[in-house]
Amino acid sequence: MGPEGTGAVTLSSIVAERVDTVAAPGPLPRARRRAPLAWLGAAPFFVYASLFLLLPAGDVLLGAFRSEQGDWTTANVRQLFHAEYLHAFENSIRISIYSAVVGGLVGALICYAALHPGAPRWVRTVFTAFAAVASQFGGVPLAFFFISSIGTLGVVTQFLKDWMGIDIYAHGVTVFGFWGVFLAYVYFQIPLMLLVLAPAVDGLRAEWREASESLGADALTYWRSVGIPVLAPSFLGAMVLLFGNAFAAQATAYALTSGGYNIVPLEITNVLNGNVVSDPHFGQALALGMIVVIAIAVLIYLPLQRRAARWMT
Amino acid sequence: MPISGMVALAIGALYFLVPVFATIKFSVEQGHAGFGLQAYRQIFDDPQFRHTLWFSVQLALETTVVTMALMVPTVYWVHLRLPKIRAAVEAVTILPFVVPPIVLVVGLFDFFKSFSPDWLLQDFVFSPKFLVCAYVVLSLPFVYRALDAGIRAVDIQTLTEAAESLGASRSRTLFRVILPNLREAVLAACLLTFVIVLGEFTIASIALYQTFPVYITTIGSAQAYPAAALTVISVGLTFVAAAIFLVLGRIGLRKRRTALAAGMTSVAPAAVAKLGEA
Amino acid sequence: MSVRDSDIEDAWGGFLEERVSRQSLLRRATLLGMGAVAAPAFLSGTSAFASETLPTSGKAMSLADLVSKAQKEGTINTITLPPTWANYGEIMKKYQSKFRLKLTDTIPDGTSAQENAAVVSQKGSKRAPDVLDVGPSFAEIGRKQGLYANYKVSTWSTIPANLKHASGAWVGDYWGVISFGVNTDVAKTVPASWSDLKDPAYKNMVALGGDPRQAGEAFAAVFAASLANGGSLDDIAPGIQFFADLKTAGNYITTQATSATKASGQTPIVCGWDYLQLADRDLQKGKVNITVGVPTNGVYGGYYCQAINKTAPHPYAARLWQEFLYSDAGQLLFLKGYTHPARFADMSKRGIVPKALLAKLPPAQDYKTVKFASVDQITKAGTVLAAQWGPKVLGQ
Repeated sequence: MGPEGTGAVTLSSIVAERVDTVAAPGPLPRARRRAPLAWLGAAPFFVYASLFLLLPAGDVLLGAFRSEQGDWTTANVRQLFHAEYLHAFENSIRISIYSAVVGGLVGALICYAALHPGAPRWVRTVFTAFAAVASQFGGVPLAFFFISSIGTLGVVTQFLKDWMGIDIYAHGVTVFGFWGVFLAYVYFQIPLMLLVLAPAVDGLRAEWREASESLGADALTYWRSVGIPVLAPSFLGAMVLLFGNAFAAQATAYALTSGGYNIVPLEITNVLNGNVVSDPHFGQALALGMIVVIAIAVLIYLPLQRRAARWMT
Repeated sequence: MPISGMVALAIGALYFLVPVFATIKFSVEQGHAGFGLQAYRQIFDDPQFRHTLWFSVQLALETTVVTMALMVPTVYWVHLRLPKIRAAVEAVTILPFVVPPIVLVVGLFDFFKSFSPDWLLQDFVFSPKFLVCAYVVLSLPFVYRALDAGIRAVDIQTLTEAAESLGASRSRTLFRVILPNLREAVLAACLLTFVIVLGEFTIASIALYQTFPVYITTIGSAQAYPAAALTVISVGLTFVAAAIFLVLGRIGLRKRRTALAAGMTSVAPAAVAKLGEA
Repeated sequence: MSVRDSDIEDAWGGFLEERVSRQSLLRRATLLGMGAVAAPAFLSGTSAFASETLPTSGKAMSLADLVSKAQKEGTINTITLPPTWANYGEIMKKYQSKFRLKLTDTIPDGTSAQENAAVVSQKGSKRAPDVLDVGPSFAEIGRKQGLYANYKVSTWSTIPANLKHASGAWVGDYWGVISFGVNTDVAKTVPASWSDLKDPAYKNMVALGGDPRQAGEAFAAVFAASLANGGSLDDIAPGIQFFADLKTAGNYITTQATSATKASGQTPIVCGWDYLQLADRDLQKGKVNITVGVPTNGVYGGYYCQAINKTAPHPYAARLWQEFLYSDAGQLLFLKGYTHPARFADMSKRGIVPKALLAKLPPAQDYKTVKFASVDQITKAGTVLAAQWGPKVLGQ
């Protein structure tokens, strides 16, 4: 392997070789003889996933089309299209996109700032450790974080009122709606992006930056030709992860708004795991709806990612 | 660093740290009684605190081992030889998000009970090992993403070829050549798995296990000040554990890094050589 | 506590003696019968334990027998019993020490739906719940699904008919009413009635324990508001409208009220079960001043139901648990937790309720107008609420 015959050496071509070989489709000649056996390598994963995810979850798909009495019906799925459930899907998608985009971008920036080659070791450890803590934060403790900060008697609210004369609640700001939930979600989305993107940022070789500078490129060019293309596939994948993470979350929204900001997981809990009503098959229909939404998100993401990985080709 | 950078960092620090301080402040308040550490003492004296924490740590370690054992070879293999089914693997790893934990855990029990003989039921399905298996599924999305990001940065085709041309077996290649290159990614994946298990509530509670998050929620809804103290304690413990984990994971890294760098330049010599020429 | 534990001990001692003397004749007969059954079973190699049918009534077996069988089982699994809920902490401790059995409680914060689900999914496990404490509508669901064993405790006849199911599948253990719990350090005055909540002084102060579509306590609060505003047990709509108006006025906030938010002053006025709020008041004594009052109109009562898992891993310990809860001593422990135990009327008639204990509850006349909804009414109201709460109150 080598760049012989490529003529002029450009920065992008150097990187392109590495990106290209990683993204290249098709097995190597030696492997073609063993192609049938090669599938065995992925078997453990699929067996495990079938046993502990696909088959148990297949219950959901079937259950959504059944009624209490046990016969097949589409009533549950049709109920999904009532205004309030469509609204719940809308809310879920909105909070997931907003928190994934903002959390993702800010998280990526912080990730690079803290972990790029050349950053001091202690910065890296502290940021990553805190990210580990904050990324799984949620539910009542996280809601309490924000209630005690910007609730009606929160530390920040009081500070603004006493020291700056601003009473944010008088102007209708409230932590108990979309923006409160958004702020809380971003609290764990940013660290999650940091943790998940860290390996990719690690893959940015210091030599590339040096090479770029020695070739006379400025920071913008470096990012445009090297940095972003290299990080793009992982960044996009991480965004889908953030989207899914927000989409599935419910405890925080519940603690902050008691269902006031209504999202699909809360609707599912209402009918599947509550103390008031019980409608398990409709709950399964809602879960089916969630699968459809995520499937669409993944279908949008896959070609984008393939494109990003072939940026240089 | 430019001013705008510093301002951004300051706002970021405020956003992340003010809530922590507000909770700390609440946890040492005793209302009319002034300030005090009773809430913390109450937590540390509670035997349930120690039991559930240790139980959760054990679960977390076991889950991490199983997930790594399953996913590292899989991600390696899929990137190396089976890029076409990479999309299928990725899609499967996203699925845990859309199956609500309530549905998943009930489905798991239903499914396994339908075919398991009694010994399997008692020794596996109704034991914490089952919980570990469910947790492996939960951490799939995060672990796959971290490993995937790391593996894209490494030229595994060349490395594998080079190692195999030198006579290394596949497992040797994986352990001695690929894994050291994926060290950061594996560390990130382990860390993610660990904190996921330490923070997972729904499945543990439905399967009737007393884990640390279940304990936190119990205290959280019943008692105001101890709940805040417990939040602060768990934040502190997790932070320290993560920091230790990261530092330990890097012991010996510098030595290996220089060896690897030498190895890397030998693998992609032309590129670097051309840089020198240009 | 000003009530002496010896008051409860006396009641308990009387219970034991009474039972033994009354049942001693029956006991001898049972032992003989068991011997007759055990011999051939032993010879055939099967376990006598497994071939016995479980008692469906407290009168079928002597207490001493029940205790010894339970002790052979050694342990009992309970579910969703928070220690601060209706004094369950003390009840669980007393059960363990009295009968020298181990008690394991799981998911203290679980929901009734989870309890029924655990019975199904954990069937066959030694960790499955033996006894449940569920809301009435879920008790009915569980009964219809065949999850519960029929068992009528020995004090069955003294339990009001509207608090039990005739088959013995489930039986109400205690009830309470929706009350106002007020952090008086933050909310300077205490609302006396539902209409008081509309006072502009209470802006951003009123909260519920959760979403009424999911949390039983919040649902009951809406029902109570309905009773106070022209609704009835068949009509929860005025309650929904009340909260819609309260939200528009800015008084009702949708944060989930917890002990922490009440103490911190974030949710200074909470509409919730009286027994929970009174227990919380005691817990916060010295730190935060909390006053609990029953509203002057719209008094809605809610009860919870005991049930025994049909496939309980420890069936005798489960039945012993119920015998304990429905004994005078057990019921007084519930009273100590500020609830009205199911046998309250019977016990007050017999004059065995300690005055000191009674004095700690709000005065009896506050509870005079209490109304209980039937399971059908609860189910119907639940459906209406699930459909209308979002659009009417939350503007969705």
